Amino acid sequence: MKRFYFLIIFIVSNFQLQAQINYGPRITAMGGAGVALQDVWSAQKNQAGIAGLKNPIISAGYENRFGVKELSTQSAVFAIPIKNYALGASFQSYGVDAYNEVKTGLSLAKSFGPKLLAAINLNYHQLKIDNYGNSQSFSVEVGLQYQAFEKLWLGTHIANPNQSKYGEQTEQIIPAHIQFGASYLFSDQLTISSEVEKVLDNQADFKVGLEYKVVKFVALRGGISVNPFKQFAGFGINYEKLNLDFAIASHPVLGYSPQIAIGYEF
Amino acid sequence: MLSFNTVYAQQTNDPIIEYIIESIVDNQAEDFDYTELVDRLNYYRRNKINLNKTSREQLQELVFLNPLQINALLNHITINGKLIDELELQSIDGFNLETIKNLLYFAGINTPSGFENFSFKNLFKEGRNDILIRYNRYLEAQKGYSPGSTSRYLGTPERVLTRYRFAYSNNIQFSLNVEKDPGEKYWNNTNNQTGPDFVSASLYIKDLRKLKKLAFGDYTLQFGQGLTLWSGLSFGKGADIFTVAKQDLGLRAYTSVNEYSYFRGVATQINLGKFDFTPFVSYINLDAGIALNPITNAEDISSLQQSGLHRTNSELNNKNRIGQFIFGGNLQYNYKKLSIGLTAYHSKYSKNFAPGNSLYNKFDFTGNSLNNAGINYSYTLKNTYFFGEFAHSLNYGFAYVNGLISSLSPAVSMVLFHRNYQKDYFSFYNQGIGESSTAVNEKGFFGGLQIKPSRKFELNFYTDLFKFPWLKFRVDAPSTGYDVFSQFTFAPNKTTKFILRYQFQNKQQNAANQIFVNTLEFVKKSNYRLDAQYQINKNFSLKNRLEIVQYHEENTNNRFGFLAYQDINYSPLSSKLSGNMRLAMFETDGFDTRIYAYENDVLYGFSIPGFQEKGIRFYTNARYNLKRGVDFWLRYSITKYNDQTTVGSGLDEIQGNSRSEIKAQIRFQF
Repeated sequence: MKRFYFLIIFIVSNFQLQAQINYGPRITAMGGAGVALQDVWSAQKNQAGIAGLKNPIISAGYENRFGVKELSTQSAVFAIPIKNYALGASFQSYGVDAYNEVKTGLSLAKSFGPKLLAAINLNYHQLKIDNYGNSQSFSVEVGLQYQAFEKLWLGTHIANPNQSKYGEQTEQIIPAHIQFGASYLFSDQLTISSEVEKVLDNQADFKVGLEYKVVKFVALRGGISVNPFKQFAGFGINYEKLNLDFAIASHPVLGYSPQIAIGYEF
Repeated sequence: MLSFNTVYAQQTNDPIIEYIIESIVDNQAEDFDYTELVDRLNYYRRNKINLNKTSREQLQELVFLNPLQINALLNHITINGKLIDELELQSIDGFNLETIKNLLYFAGINTPSGFENFSFKNLFKEGRNDILIRYNRYLEAQKGYSPGSTSRYLGTPERVLTRYRFAYSNNIQFSLNVEKDPGEKYWNNTNNQTGPDFVSASLYIKDLRKLKKLAFGDYTLQFGQGLTLWSGLSFGKGADIFTVAKQDLGLRAYTSVNEYSYFRGVATQINLGKFDFTPFVSYINLDAGIALNPITNAEDISSLQQSGLHRTNSELNNKNRIGQFIFGGNLQYNYKKLSIGLTAYHSKYSKNFAPGNSLYNKFDFTGNSLNNAGINYSYTLKNTYFFGEFAHSLNYGFAYVNGLISSLSPAVSMVLFHRNYQKDYFSFYNQGIGESSTAVNEKGFFGGLQIKPSRKFELNFYTDLFKFPWLKFRVDAPSTGYDVFSQFTFAPNKTTKFILRYQFQNKQQNAANQIFVNTLEFVKKSNYRLDAQYQINKNFSLKNRLEIVQYHEENTNNRFGFLAYQDINYSPLSSKLSGNMRLAMFETDGFDTRIYAYENDVLYGFSIPGFQEKGIRFYTNARYNLKRGVDFWLRYSITKYNDQTTVGSGLDEIQGNSRSEIKAQIRFQF
């Protein structure tokens, strides 16, 4: 019965507003252009990417927006490859007690041969606003990655194609987007990736980023997005099985948004 | 393996020089004189640089080599000894075939150089003389020359340039320019002004024992990243992303006809091992507008005038109105890949600068003397070139820049550049990179990428974020903006090339409809450009361009600009005649959507006119080699506007709908 109500909610409601998905510091530092990258944070970005992982990885991060304490996100991701499959889980919590948005995701990814990765992801959304109430919803994401030739990966990701919503009472929506892009390995040290994104009822955006490994265990990253115009930078340190990543995003008017994540590869 | 022994004919339109210029001068004002650069490139085309004996500075003069490439080349020679074959260049990091082709156009590995066989007998026997006379004028009558009007130009409507050059090898150069602009008199004899309107001369000697350079007369100085002291030719953000790292040339003779931004006096560069010391002293008269100070009742300088036009009584009154005295020095330390420079100078003016009377120029310089000091550095570490400068105007503000160029992989290079110029930082010779033309009241961050995966493809991309902490002219609040640029080049073979360019700028200015308070609005401008160049046969090549500008202010409709042209170049290898022509059509919704396009001109001539309104532009340009050492150029151009009854404004106004110009030039070399 509950599911039936959800379905009704999916179909009836038509309010829109942008919510924020945290892509983790590595992808964020590359301008968010991560649709064709393979990372544990692909569980939040393009779930097909987790099928490219070799070992189980867990990572947890914290992001603050524009120096405002209330605008922070805690998130965690986990991915485990099992033969041709990979399972992923993601969790993110945004806001404070008075206003809180939680997204929990489970994904299943599969590699069809070495060149094609595909995934499907189910999200459970919870929205809580003090003195107002709670709402829940589900949404679906699908992703694809294809290795066109040795150094070039192409990726596509679609989120919430059926435009599910929290309900008639809330204006808060779950964004529907389509992203596609490419990443190219220029050398062992250098990766450049780019992405075009269209969020429904929003302007299209173009993002580009690069990652450069100064030495084997230190990577520097930078990127931009053009609409809205933002600049990104960050670094990652990989010490044996531990990963520490940091990113900062700069908006010309609103200011800086730093984030950090620590990961462990089993 | 390829051979580079191509023979190039001397032609009016030099495709390599044109390409170099168009890729770096993107954001310059349209009337700037690039003679110096064209001259320099043409000079090296005839007197090729010897790569085995060259210096960093000489390579920097070629402008298209970036600092990492220069380092790699010099390093290669240091480690492996002299270059024996031109093909060796292919093994140097950062040198692709395009770069090598361009470099070998201006340089070789065995060309003679230096004072090796010097004697006074040789000086006159082997020295080269070059005399050039250029004449141009509009054919239609302009308002300022009509006898009836009360305010009118005093002189005649033609522009006449006479230049003389003497060069002995690369070591002794003498240069003389005499010029009058349209509307100016051949010989001024009013208001204490006697003589030709503009005269500039310089004697320049290189490599005379300890004296690396010695200049008498007019000269320019360029140090560091251009914050403290940089006069003459300078580049900003452009299609060549590496130009944000300025490559200073130190002391040079001034040979251009821009009547501004040079020094007059004596300067020299003395080499003391790892140190180079460049002292200089200059006294020059500048054009200035004068305002009476209500408090002191003295004449103050209201503005420095840079146009160099002295056509009317009032313009002539302002000519050489104030004196400027400058002295100072630069000390440069070079050791391997490290270079550190200190620059300090004092400037003194014969009158005070008037305080600004608007809020936006509240922090402008006042007074009559200023001391500037700056420190600059550059250092190469592995695949990365670091550079920067920190500058201070004593008792006033600071300015600094830091940047790097890194070759991340053989195919990918990156540029990062940060700047911070305080609102009360002053230098009269400040040409730091920025969105504004001078490095003041601006903060910004530039990031650029160049990707060259193969000979056929090239992608240049940059974004630049800028903030202006204080008000600006027509911007009544602190403001911000950004720039996105991308250019994709595809050259499927040696004779065909396509260039696709997209540029987007979004910045704030005063809103068009003000009610009680001036508020800011974002103004967006997009440029789309497509170039196609192809060689049909040995004699003919064609070029097309299509360019569209889209301009958007908040609360108004989009405005558009459109330009398309067809070029035909005729440059046979063994004919006395060569030439080119262009037919362009343009249609723009006014000034904000105007479109600039480089035009071929007579040798050393240069123009990037801006087109607005609606009409047709045509020009043809021919060179004829009369006999050995004597060349003649002729150029005719016409712009015809639809729906207009006059062309130009003020005293330049022409009755009718078209403006045509004729230009003739003759050069004697002996």
